[in-house]
Order: sequence, then C-alpha cells, then structure tokens
Amino acid sequence: MKVLLSWIREFVDVPESAEDIGTLMSVRGLALEGLEPHGDDIVMDFDVTANRPDCLSVIGIAREIATAYNRPLNVPEGRDFSPAGSDHAIAITIEAPELCGRYAGAVADVKVGPSPEWMQSRLTACGIRPISNIVDITNYVLLELGQPMHAFDLHQLGGRAIVVRRAKPGESIKTLDGKLRTLTPDMLVIADASRAQAIGGVMGGAHSEVTTGTKRIVFEAAYFKPSSVRATSKALGLKTDASTRFERGMDVTAPARAMARACQLLEQIGAGQAAGTIHDVYPAPQSAAPIVLERTRVPGLLGMDVPDANVERILRSLGFDVQSASAEASTSAEASADRSAGHAGWNITAPAWRVDIKRQVDLIEEVGRHHGFEHLPSTFPGVQQAPASSDPRIARDRRVRTALLGMGYSEAITFAFIEAAAAEPFLGGDAPVALANPLSEKFAVMRPSLLPGLIDAVSHNRRHGRRDVQLFEIGTRFSPRGETRGAGFAWTGLATADHWSGARREIDFFDVKGVVEQLAAVSLVSLTFGEADVPYLVKGRAATMTVNGQHIGVFGLLDSAVGDRRDLPSGDEVYVAEFNLDALIAAAPADTLRATSLPRYPWVVRDVSILVDDALSAEAVRGTIRSAAPSTLIEVREFDRYQGKGVPDGKVSLSFRLTFQSPERTLNDEEVQVGMQHIIDALTRDLQAIQR
Amino acid sequence: MTAIDTSIGPDRARELFRAELADVRTDAELQALRTRWVGRKGSWVAAFMEALATATPEQKKTFGRGANELKKEVEATIAEREAALAAARRPAHAVDITLPGRTPALGHRHPLSLIRDEVGAIFTRLGYQVLEGPEIEDDYHNFEALNMPEEHPARDMQDTLYLATPTFASADASVGRPRGKAPWPPQPLTLLRTHTSAMQIRHMEQNAPPVRLVAIGPVYRKDNLDLTHTPMFHQVEGLVVGKGVTLADLKGTLAAMAEALFGAGTGVRFRPSFFPYTEPSAEVDIQCIKCKGAGCAMCKRTGWIEILGSGMVHPAVFEAVGYDPNEITGFAFGMGVERVALLKWGVEDIRLFYENDLRFLEQFGL
Ligand SMILES: [Zn+2]
Repeated sequence: MKVLLSWIREFVDVPESAEDIGTLMSVRGLALEGLEPHGDDIVMDFDVTANRPDCLSVIGIAREIATAYNRPLNVPEGRDFSPAGSDHAIAITIEAPELCGRYAGAVADVKVGPSPEWMQSRLTACGIRPISNIVDITNYVLLELGQPMHAFDLHQLGGRAIVVRRAKPGESIKTLDGKLRTLTPDMLVIADASRAQAIGGVMGGAHSEVTTGTKRIVFEAAYFKPSSVRATSKALGLKTDASTRFERGMDVTAPARAMARACQLLEQIGAGQAAGTIHDVYPAPQSAAPIVLERTRVPGLLGMDVPDANVERILRSLGFDVQSASAEASTSAEASADRSAGHAGWNITAPAWRVDIKRQVDLIEEVGRHHGFEHLPSTFPGVQQAPASSDPRIARDRRVRTALLGMGYSEAITFAFIEAAAAEPFLGGDAPVALANPLSEKFAVMRPSLLPGLIDAVSHNRRHGRRDVQLFEIGTRFSPRGETRGAGFAWTGLATADHWSGARREIDFFDVKGVVEQLAAVSLVSLTFGEADVPYLVKGRAATMTVNGQHIGVFGLLDSAVGDRRDLPSGDEVYVAEFNLDALIAAAPADTLRATSLPRYPWVVRDVSILVDDALSAEAVRGTIRSAAPSTLIEVREFDRYQGKGVPDGKVSLSFRLTFQSPERTLNDEEVQVGMQHIIDALTRDLQAIQR
Repeated sequence: MTAIDTSIGPDRARELFRAELADVRTDAELQALRTRWVGRKGSWVAAFMEALATATPEQKKTFGRGANELKKEVEATIAEREAALAAARRPAHAVDITLPGRTPALGHRHPLSLIRDEVGAIFTRLGYQVLEGPEIEDDYHNFEALNMPEEHPARDMQDTLYLATPTFASADASVGRPRGKAPWPPQPLTLLRTHTSAMQIRHMEQNAPPVRLVAIGPVYRKDNLDLTHTPMFHQVEGLVVGKGVTLADLKGTLAAMAEALFGAGTGVRFRPSFFPYTEPSAEVDIQCIKCKGAGCAMCKRTGWIEILGSGMVHPAVFEAVGYDPNEITGFAFGMGVERVALLKWGVEDIRLFYENDLRFLEQFGL
C-alpha cells in the first residue's frame, strides 16, 4: 500500500523522518517495503498483511503510526457539505441483503473536468491514474478511508432508481474495461429499473460511465459480502482495487462517512454540489459483541508483563472500546480499592473496521505488538515429561547414508516431480501419480523411483566433463498405493580412482553387487538374488534382491536407450541400484542382536578345484557343497574362476576355499578328509564335476 | 686440482685440503678425496711421509709434526663428513613421499542434508523429537485444520500443486484419526503439502499434550525456478505445546537455534506478522551474518535478514485437534532449509542445490 507522508501527517502529528517511521512500523506489524521521493514529499510503501484490509488506507496506516508513537489520531468528526435539496433525490432498494449489507447513495450535479493538481499528484503518487474530477474523488476517498466508491451517470440509469439484486440467469454487462461479461445468479449487480449497471464490489458498467457530458451523478458507497465478491472476482477473472478490499472485509460503518467526504470534496474542488441528502440503506444494523480480555492471559501468552495502563492505551488508540471488568467473585470494597488485585480484565469491543478481531488472542496480539516484541525476554518452555523418540526412519536413513558415503557415493537431492516420459520405464504397471496443475511438463508426475532423478544428475555431471560419477539419493517414491522411502544409487566410470602406480579398471556388475551386499550387511539382512527383467536394465546384467521372499529392490546395468533419452553420452555404462528402505527395515530382524563368543578351537582350510559346465551358477555349486558337507563347514568361498587354455570349451574351472571349524573341539585331519571326500563325491555325482 | 707437491709444506697443504673438502657432495667424491689425501700410495700424506724419509733432522722436527697433524685432520674430518652423508642418505626401501596417495573412495554430504541434520541435532539437544510425515496430503490437514477454510484469504498466499487423481492410500501409518473421536472416513489425498505444518496436525490428533517436536522434510509450491525459488524445497517445522508456553519461550528457543546455526552472538528480532494458524504471529530476523548488523547490500542496509515465520498456535488449531485452548498454549515456527544453507554458506543460486553437480557437492564435507 503506497501512501504519501504528507497525507499521513494530515491525521497524525509525526515530524519524524520517513526512515524512522518505517523502521519503527516494521517492528509494529506494518513492514516498510520501500521509500520513494515524490516532489518534496515521500511515498511510503507498506506491506499490509491479508488480515488487515483496514490498513489499505491512509487513515488505517495513520492509526497504526499514531498508536506506535503514542500520539492522537486527528479524524474530523464529520465532513460538512451543503446539499441543494433536503430529500434523497434517488430511490435505492436492496433486494439481496444477504450479499449487500449496506448501500449509501447520493445524487450530485456536477461539471466534469480534470481534478486539481494536488489531487492528481496524490493519486499518481499512490499508483492511481487520474481520470476526471468525479472518478478522482472516488479514488481519493478509496485511498484515504479505504472505502471503495463508484459514480454512475444518473441520466443513464433507467427509472432513476438503483436496485441491488442478484444477476438474472444469462444476464450480461459491458464493464468499464470494455469487456462484455456474462453473469450468474450468485453474482450481485447494481441495476437500474431494467438492467445491470455495475457488478457489485467488482467493477462499474460502461453504459452509465461518467463522461465529459455527464451532468448528474450518483455516488455509491456500499458494504458487500466478502465471500461473494471473492467468488465473483475469481469467476470473472477480474481483480480490482475495490474487489481486493471487499473480499477481505470492509468496515460496515464506513459508507456513510465516505459519502460525506466525497460530497465535501466535490464542493471543495468546485466539481459540483450534492443535489440531496445521503440515502443510506442499512437493513440490519450490526453491532460487535464485546470480547473478554482476561488480565492474566496477557503475560500468560506473551511471557512479558504489560502494564494495565499500556494495555488500555494501545487498544483505545487503535479504536477499541475498553471497559474494565471486575473479578466475578470478589466485588468487596477492599478488592475494588486495590485495582490490580480485584481487576480481572476488560470487556473490549472492536471497531467495525477491525474484521480480523474475533478472539481474545487477537486482542493480546494487538497489545503485544504495540507494547513491542523487543521487550520479550528470552526464556525456554518447561519440560513436563521425557522427550519422545524420533521417527525411526531418521536413524535408519542415516545408517544407509553413512555406508554409501563411506563407499564413495555423494549425496544427491532431486525434485520429486519429473517428466512423464522419464517416469514411464519405472512405473512397473502402476498408473503415474500425475499433477493436475504442474509447473511445467518437466515436473508433471511424482517420481515412481529415485533412479530417473539420479540418471539426470549423472547425465548433468557427465556433460560437464566429469568421468567418474557416484551419486545416491534417499527419498520418497510415489505410487497410487502411497509413499515409500527408497535409497538409490548410480555409478559410472572407474572402479577406483586413477593412480600413478596402477592399472585402471572400469566398474562392472560385481562392483555394484558388492555395494548392494554391504548395504544389506549394515541393515543386518542377507539378500537373495534373482535375475531381473525390468524395462530400464540390461537383461543378463540385472538382478532382483529379496529378503525372506520379500522384494527389496533391483540393481544392474542401465539400458542405453533409457540413458540416451536423458542425454547421457553414448557408450556410457551406468550401473544403478534401488532399495525399498521401508521393506528393508520390515525385513530386518527386530532389535534382538546378541553377540556370540569367539571360537576357541582352530579352523582347518581346504581348497578344491573342479571343472564344471560353464552354464552352472556359482549358487548351484555352493549349494551342492553345503548339502554334502559336514556341519563343521563354516564358510565356502570362490577364489578363482578360469576359462581358457587347458579348459575345454563349455567348461569352467572353479576353485573353492572351504573352512571347517567346530565350536567344541579341535578337528583332526582324518575327519576333514572324510568330509572333503563327501563333497567331491557329491560334486562329481550331481554336477558331473571333474576334480583338477 | 693441484698436483701433489710436498714442497708447499704441510700448512699450505692443509688449506688445500679444506678447500677441496668444501666441494665434496657425494659419497663417491668423499672416497676419492680420501684416496687422494690419505691413500697408502700416491696420496698427499704418503708423499709427505716419503719426503720425510729424506729430510734433514732439523727439517724432520717441524715438517714431521706438520705432516702428522695434516694426516690426523684429514682422517678425522673425512670420518666426520662420512657420518654426515650417511645420515642424510635415503635407505634402499625409501619411497618418494611427495607422490600422491591412493585416495579411498569417500562421498560428500548434500548441503541441505547437512542443515537438516544440524537442525535436528540442535532440537534433539533441546529435548524435541524429530518427525517426518507424508508428502501427499489431504486438504484438511494442509489447510482446514490450520485455520484456513476454503474461503480464507491466506490460501491466496500459497499456490498449491494438486494431484490429477485423488488417492486414498498412504504408506504412512499416521494418517489422521483424531484422538477420542470416531474414526473418520478416509480423507482423499489431493495435494502436495505446502508446508510441514500438516505434520503438526497429524501428531496432535494422535498424541495428548505436552508436545515438543520438529518435523523436517520436502514441501511443494507452484513457484517458478529462479535464484531464490524452487517448486520443491525443505522446511523445518517446530511445535511446542504445554501449560504456560509463551511467546518469550519461542524467542529464547529461536535465539538458541540462531546461535547454534550461525554462530555465538547472532541476535534475533521479532516482527509482528500474520499467519492464519498462529496468533500472535511473528516473522523472525537474524542479525545479518555478513555485516553483523551494521547494514550491507545483503541485508538491504537493515542489519537484519528474515529467516522464518512463527507464532503462538491459534486456538482454532487446538480446537481442530481436540486440545482445550483454555488449558494449554503452544508455539510453532517454520523455516526454509534452503534459506539457511544459502545464508550460511553464501550460495548465490538456490538451483545449485538441485543440480547435484559434483563440483558443488564436493565443497561440502561429511
Ligand atoms: Zn548486512
């Protein structure tokens, strides 16, 4: 809200500089947005919060300043003007009192022309274009008092009557901006005997617009229902200075005052004279009910003491009616003698312009902000019970995050909404969770997976010259079944950093599998792997992860077609993995971890090398070994796999290191040898293995 | 190198030796020097001994002492230098310690994640529980229960992103069931939460006071990307409810947080403001971390930088969750994680947080 310093000073005596006023008001609830010179005057731009439509006016801002500086607000009691006649000179009927609570009109004979320089200058400074003396008067009153006004050319009003009614179905009106607008019956119009002449609280009609030829006008100042103006303005896509104010709630007592001011200005600038008295139609006068302000509640909510005298001064200065309320139970002479002891608080009535005041806390805020938040002490809330524990996901995510950081992955955070096409391969048969009003096509659907975002991040880094990229993200994935928390990572480039001493090696499937296994290990679960068939991974280099049959995630080599669509440099091999952390935590054992004692007897190690069919999986060989082995076999590890010279085509040479140990005794050579023979027999019998 | 000539006498020879020793740098040079001066044959000392044999008794007396002193000095000095060279020599197993090491892989934390953790740690220390909630919300928890009914002007302040198809499902167990009331029909989830305040409601619906929590997580608004806006950003929401909680308690708490985040002595300022879910409401500034309050371009010469919105929980919010506003009071605040990170580290473009450029991420530690 832009206001001129000189205009404010008409209502309150503040010799202080605009800067000083701005600094103080910024900590009293009216933030100063900017200062701008205007001739030898200054335009002050205040940020008025949505709950304070009364401050969309010079008088409203002056009232706040007067309270802040503890100075009187000088409001003229009435505005004198001399009507030519003693009757209303117009008939006004409110047919829709539920949408229009008050309607004041006044007829005036006018000579249309430009308004005086000083008036034009003030309007211009406040961002309103001067049009003619009549329109300028309505805008001047709008700025000064906050009451929107309108002026009709009386000769264009059929039947010399004003009817405030709902629009008829299909009724249309050409508004002042030249557009033809079709109305609906939930909209309010100001009509003459036959047709709509204005949209109530939003905009006037072109037909009765004041022109240079206008001789007689009707000024309008009314109170319209906020929700109705809001709905009409929204439906028509038409926002005006008037609608902005009406939809936030105006002062129901203001129309008469505004009308008097307009008629007085008319005479003052020689633009005309009121033809009759003000016709003020106010079918159901409203009065505000007092609100009880309990004395103890002020320090109880604010945590600072405000002297009674200051409570009363602040509220009275802001226009509230303040009456002391005595304590219900103690009306004794002693109690009333000791005002503070027997004094329970106040009965407060808010002025009509304070549409935001509904409860006791609203009053306490008024007292608090004008007493000054700078007087608040710094204290801490008392603790009444032991703090409750935090969301367990936080500790779980931290564990996974720490492990990934330790394995060289940097943490990414990507937008949760992505392009529909980027989400498509990851939907897994679900419908996408799409947005109704996305910011753009790039942010159209909620991500079903963390991988599209990570792939884009890898692509960004690769296109900016980075060869090795390791990134992970922990975040929410969305499906029609709800939200799940996941952890995803992407890896491209070298397995270890370049070094002067050694050979470089590109990452492969088993680098990624190792990371996946470590993540399972820190979560205290062990994974079972199966072949994965998903549209975004290369078949044969992709695996699913399960824990006790529960699907946990997938990993593998990214399909180059998916990468190409995200502008990954062609030829890049990117490995990706994604875990469902919620499923992982559900699969993890409850907090039943028990440490086991260290073994007391030595272990025995035996190696075995065999030739088998190369289509046989390592898992199958391991399984055969385990099922044939004695219970003292504690570990089976592949330590060599060889194909080439000396190994027939279609065969592979596998070497296993087997570790035997008993918790009860030292194993002897003979029993280990018997166990090894069982294993070799089984491998030979079941897998047609040949011992090498 | 001067040819061996005993006629110059031992004293002059000693000067020669000292000069030659001064030029010796390596073991090999030292061994050559030794041979030349004290070798069994053809050395300076050997030559003096030979000359001595043919000298007159008178010559022997002075010349002999001089030659012996020369021999002693040469041997002692060479031994000394030999020890010094040995001490300076690299052993056979030595490496060039100035070559680069093999760097074990180690990732870097995202700056927003660092702030999340830091704020979580500060409030954990102050006895708060840290919570996370659903990101897709229903209209009730995001707006209505927070004193923003359909027609409330405050809904103008935030442009909300809505789902094309409302869903009824949520993986989050804390979907609202007000305490002590009959279970509600499931609320359709229709929008991306515009603030973490929705989490406050869910928590209060299920837990009796006192409450002391911070909720941290992503929130969404229909803001175009620019230097200071992204359509998704992160928020920290704090809520304390109990008997006798005051605005002064909020001030003390936020002052403690500001000092923990931005350094000791960082002052806070409360400016009255308006939020539908708090009354009184305050915007909170911290003393400009660049100019320490003196006024600079970063703080628009005010000495203060806005950091968060806060206030005393509105009684209508308590009523919505079944708390009695005559019995308890509470404070709440909401702060942007990105904003803190921008200020704390002097990041000039908020979009850097979402590009995940390793050149940016690697500036941050673990
Ligand atoms: Zn500054």
